[in-house]
Amino acid sequence: MNMTFKEKSAWGSLVALALISYWFFPEAFDAATYAADPGRLVGLSIGCIIALIIIEAIYQSVIAAADGGASDERDALINLKAERIAGYVLGIALFTLVGRIIAVEAFEVAETMTALTIAVWILFTLTVSEIAKLISQIAYYRFSA
Amino acid sequence: MAKTYVRNNIRALRFQHGEMTQQTLAEKVGVTRQTIVAIEKEKYSPSLEAAFKIAAVFGEPLDAVFSYEPGSR
Repeated sequence: MNMTFKEKSAWGSLVALALISYWFFPEAFDAATYAADPGRLVGLSIGCIIALIIIEAIYQSVIAAADGGASDERDALINLKAERIAGYVLGIALFTLVGRIIAVEAFEVAETMTALTIAVWILFTLTVSEIAKLISQIAYYRFSA
Repeated sequence: MAKTYVRNNIRALRFQHGEMTQQTLAEKVGVTRQTIVAIEKEKYSPSLEAAFKIAAVFGEPLDAVFSYEPGSR
């Protein structure tokens, strides 16, 4: 597949973020909800962030060495378009979360949300919006712009 | 696949200029080869600056390389 540095970068980031999130969020929700263990949640979060940084640093270095890390106006435009979509996703996800918090408090429709579970949900919305950005970038590279 | 309203003769001009490769044109314009591919396929409209640079590489006026066709999408 014929890809620019930025597209390869987006693919790598997407795979790394998706894999780490797939492992992290079940563990994080468990730590926040059932165990109610802030120490474990902080440890998980720091561990995942460090793992993500290491994976990204290695991968980006390898593809930059191969491609020279070149980018141009099309990359910048695609990045802006993808960030706009990520902004919509983040907005919708955060309003949904706020709605859920209000519903839980006002109507007792589910178990009470603690500060820890809300923190994990916020991390989840941020991750979803980043994944939406990376998918949008790849879609623009493949099909348009 | 979204097409733009901006048409171009880049492919023909490349071949008229000694079968210039997309990579060579990209290096002269200062963009990636994939951007030249996207412009040639009319999937991406270049910035005005990039369009002028492309025209300058071929030694042609801008309207000999690019044309605008509203409603032709």
